[in-house]
This record gives sequence, C-alpha cells and structure tokens, in this order.
Amino acid sequence: MSKDIQVSTNQKGDIAVISIKGDVTADTGGEIDKAYLQESVLNSPKLLFEFDRDCYINSGGLAFLIDIASQGRKKEQKINAFGLSDHFQKIFHMIGITRCIKIFQTEESAVEDFLSD
Amino acid sequence: MEQLVELQLPNIIGSEKAAIEKAVSIAEDMGFSQDRIEDLKTAIAEACINAIEHGNKFDENTKVGITLAANENSLEVVVHDNGEGIDPNKIPKKFVTEEGLPQRRGYGIFLINNFVNEFAYKKKPGAGNEVKMVIHLNK
Repeated sequence: MSKDIQVSTNQKGDIAVISIKGDVTADTGGEIDKAYLQESVLNSPKLLFEFDRDCYINSGGLAFLIDIASQGRKKEQKINAFGLSDHFQKIFHMIGITRCIKIFQTEESAVEDFLSD
Repeated sequence: MEQLVELQLPNIIGSEKAAIEKAVSIAEDMGFSQDRIEDLKTAIAEACINAIEHGNKFDENTKVGITLAANENSLEVVVHDNGEGIDPNKIPKKFVTEEGLPQRRGYGIFLINNFVNEFAYKKKPGAGNEVKMVIHLNK
C-alpha cells in the first residue's frame, strides 16, 4: 500500500464500497485501481466511493477515477460517491466525470439513490 | 503588504506540496477565503505537475522554480521549468470522447485557467519555460 493513500473495500448489501483517504495522484491511483479490480467490486452492479473530506486529488489521480468511471459506464455499473469536499465536487462537475459518477453530500443520500432503482 | 518567496523544488511528483503549503500560508495571512485557497492549491499543483512531467520530463537532476509574490490584493505565482515551453496547439480543447466519456488526461491547464484570474506562459530563450498565475483576493 502506498504511504500517501489508504484504500479499503467492503460490501454493504449489494453495494460494493471503496473508501479512500489521503492523496489521489498518479502515484497512488494504482491502489484505487487495485481495489476496483477485486472481483466483488468489479462485478458489483452498484459501486459507492467514500472519499475522506480531506482527500487531495490532482489531475493525475483524476485519470484513475475517470478510468473506473468509464469502465463502470461501459458495463452499466452504477457508481455513486460521497464525502468529497466542495472544491473537488466542483472539479468533478467541471471535467464531466459526473456523467458517470453521481455525487452526493451524504452516504445516506448516495445509498438511497441506489435503492430508488 | 508585499512579500516575495522563492523556492526550488526537486523535480519529483509530490514535491509540489511544499509550494502549496507555502502559498497557503501566505494566502491565509493575506485574508483569502477558504474557497479561494482551494482554487489556489489546485492551480499550483497542476502548474507544478506540468513543469515536472512535461517541462522537465521527470529528470530528477533538474528543479522546478517557484516564486510567490504577495501584493496588496493578489498573489502572483510563477512556476519555472527547463522545458521547451507549452505548445498552445497541444492544449486539449475537448474533454469528452466520442463515446461521451470524459477524457483521461489533459485537465491541468483547463483547471488552472478556471481557478486563477490571470494566466500566462512564455518560453524564455535558452532559459526554459515560465508559467505565471495571478489570483485575486476578491474573486
């Protein structure tokens, strides 16, 4: 595990959860990729990203998230996220990653959105 | 208030954090809002990453030079590398693929442009490339 990031996965019912703390950069993005490629996450129809509010994300790290968002969209995996700071929510909207990952303010609202399907 | 700080960063991804830390400290003293400080952090990060990656091409024997100049109502940040300069034709203009998905890379200058009030770059003959960003205290 890269020292600048902590990534963990767990399952909440039929939702696979990837929790991220620390720096999301070109150097650490591989850890997120590794978590995504776990069979239980990759094949889950619902994926929830839990970001720590203090996460630092740069364009190198965004590339990894975009890869996952693109893969998810191609296989019709629904991806939601919560926990991002206002600044990174703004960036996600600006670059259009929200076409593939829906952003929520709280875990409850993100999970509720999955249940509405 | 006028303050000038010069830094020489190792040409390694991650070293941009030292510039961010110093800029944040100056911006806080100047009274920047938290929202503007977040914009500043992203702009500096992306300019430094571009310098390390595209300018100095990951050459660890080079440095990235940073100048932070605090004026009364703005903070000017200059990022210097030893590269060939930014080719405006290579700056991505489209961020969506034909499949309607976001492009993977190329957001650095786009983000800088969106977060600072003034942005300029110039190649200095025989002396590398310089990116200048000015962020105003009041948006």
